[in-house]
Amino acid sequence: MNRHELSLVLRNAPGALARVVVLFSSRGVDVESLSLDPTERGDVSRMDVVVWLPAGRNPDQLVKQLSRLVDVKSVVAVADPARNQIGA
Amino acid sequence: MDTVTGASSLVRALEDAGCEVIFGIPGGAILPAYDPLLDSVKIRHVLVRHEQGAGHAASGYAQATGRVGVCVATSGPGATNLVTPLADAYMDSVPIVAITGQVNRSMIGTDAFQEADIRSISLPITKHAFQVTDPADIPAVIAEAFALAAGGRPGPVLVDIPKDVLAATTTYTPAAPVAISRITPAANEIRRAAGLIASSRRPVFYIGGGVVRAGAAAELRTLAERTGIPVVTTLMARGAFPDSHRQHLGMPGMHGTVPAVAALQQSDLLIALGTRFDDRVTGVLDLFAPNAAVIHADIDPAEISKNRKADVPIVGDCKDVLVSLNAAVRRAPVLTSWWAYLDGLRDRFPLGYDWPADGKLAPQHVIERIGTLVGPEAIYTAGVGQHQMWAAQFVGYERPGSFINSGGLGTMGFAVPAAMGAQCGVPDRAVWAIDGDGCFQMTNQELVTCALDGIPIKVAIINNGNLGMVRQWQNLFYRGRYSNTGLSTHDRVPDFVALAEALGCAGLRCTEKSEVDDVIMRAMEVRDRPVVIDFVVGEDAQVWPMVAAGTGNDEIMTVRGIKPLFDEDL
Ligand SMILES: Cc1ncc(C[n+]2csc(CCOP(=O)(O)OP(=O)(O)O)c2C)c(N)n1
Ligand SMILES: [Mg+2]
Repeated sequence: MNRHELSLVLRNAPGALARVVVLFSSRGVDVESLSLDPTERGDVSRMDVVVWLPAGRNPDQLVKQLSRLVDVKSVVAVADPARNQIGA
Repeated sequence: MDTVTGASSLVRALEDAGCEVIFGIPGGAILPAYDPLLDSVKIRHVLVRHEQGAGHAASGYAQATGRVGVCVATSGPGATNLVTPLADAYMDSVPIVAITGQVNRSMIGTDAFQEADIRSISLPITKHAFQVTDPADIPAVIAEAFALAAGGRPGPVLVDIPKDVLAATTTYTPAAPVAISRITPAANEIRRAAGLIASSRRPVFYIGGGVVRAGAAAELRTLAERTGIPVVTTLMARGAFPDSHRQHLGMPGMHGTVPAVAALQQSDLLIALGTRFDDRVTGVLDLFAPNAAVIHADIDPAEISKNRKADVPIVGDCKDVLVSLNAAVRRAPVLTSWWAYLDGLRDRFPLGYDWPADGKLAPQHVIERIGTLVGPEAIYTAGVGQHQMWAAQFVGYERPGSFINSGGLGTMGFAVPAAMGAQCGVPDRAVWAIDGDGCFQMTNQELVTCALDGIPIKVAIINNGNLGMVRQWQNLFYRGRYSNTGLSTHDRVPDFVALAEALGCAGLRCTEKSEVDDVIMRAMEVRDRPVVIDFVVGEDAQVWPMVAAGTGNDEIMTVRGIKPLFDEDL
């Protein structure tokens, strides 16, 4: 498993958080931590997530799937210098 | 700006969005919307008998017309009955808008009567879901829902509206047009693709439903003919390239033709357009097309390199991609030996079938005769199972959108309501549902809707007495132990002819080969009612070729145990 950090800008719309979380669950993503913070712009929030993906699974795919969500304004995989590896 | 109720605002917004037909059933929470609907001269409401029928009908309508299909249900059970069609439309990228009533705003979250949190339920199976809390938002939400459903990669969108929002007094402000951005295919990728195409030796066009959704069949044909490259069309793309065309090798995948499967396996260049490397096409992924470079064009970036890494990724609408490729490809590859190989396979392994030993009808023959007599101008829908695969194999499709079926989700019961929806969208075409005796028992109630609303579909039940596809797997993989796959439909329970009559349709039965053509012709002559034909066919017929689940495509079998690509050194 590989650890990845994602940073999202999320519209403050009802159900937006649920949609992101359900995507993790339907796509088999393990979530280590998740934090949601208001931004200076009142209409969006910032979400930082740390997820674990099976080795060989590219976080780009997850980034693209998250970008499809209407309420996700932007999403990037943050390069993680201290990337841990468990198993193969 | 007019003062109206939320309900009137909804109906006007739907009219403004171009909605001409709604499939639905009223109930408490959605009731306010049904009042102004009675006065709409632009929107026809078709009263279905089950909300699942409404959803699949919206999908059939959308796929037959290219427009957004609309279905309506009340809160709670009405809304949950839409779950299957929403999931179905999501998997097959069909633009539909589902409108559901909801309990009053103040009651949400109180376990009120007929409350179900449909927005949450639908999260993983919709592109997006709205819950309207301010009646003034209705026009903008409806406009956005239509734009989202149809834009980019199409799909289902839910709009949940509390009853008191529908009942409230508000103003109607026509929505501003919703801007839809369209990505231009990257010029450098197009150039690289054109270069690979020109230098390839064993290229193949691997065409998916995205080409149908994009309306790009003509552009595909131009490029295919200019390059001479063979074409395969997936289950969702049947008709995107004419079956009668010399360059067409048929359908790839689990029940694909030997030449189509071999073309992918032996290829050095897959030109994959609007397709998603589904497991039913690729077989075991690691063994799929092992020597091929991949050009993958899709409007959804998340599909590219999802299952198979693309060497040339192209994000864009298939029509734009094909137009760009047509401009960029200057030189056709030399394909003499490739075609010699493929033509050899075509000669040696044509699609075929045996007649059942018990003297019953061959289901494949029935379906082939329907295709021949009814012709390529008609629209065909299918349920899920053996009959679906035979409908994909033995009807000749010449037009995109002429075959409508449940590909991704594999929803039994899709055929009848989808045919109903398609017929509403294209009243001048014949619409034939090729259905299974199992599937038919899941959604045949919509024939009542068809009979009463003047929707004259034809239903050909391929009655093999069984959940045939499951039985086939039991035969092949469970030592012929037929656990719970017999339906007793050969004992006439139900009697499909009598059932058809009871549902307000004409019922016909066919048991003999000599009667097949005559029965089909008689069905075509009936115009005042839907027609159901009970084709009593052999129970042991199997779908071949077959790539068993969990094996590589090279292990395709033409009949049990015979593996032409695996056993021989080709
Ligand atoms: C709603 C649903 N339930 C179960 C299945 C599993 N399933 C796939 S094909 C099939 C048999 C379909 O029987 P029938 O409609 O008679 O078609 P046949 O295979 O006999 O042509 C079943 C049960 C499914 N695809 N969809
Ligand atoms: Mg059957």
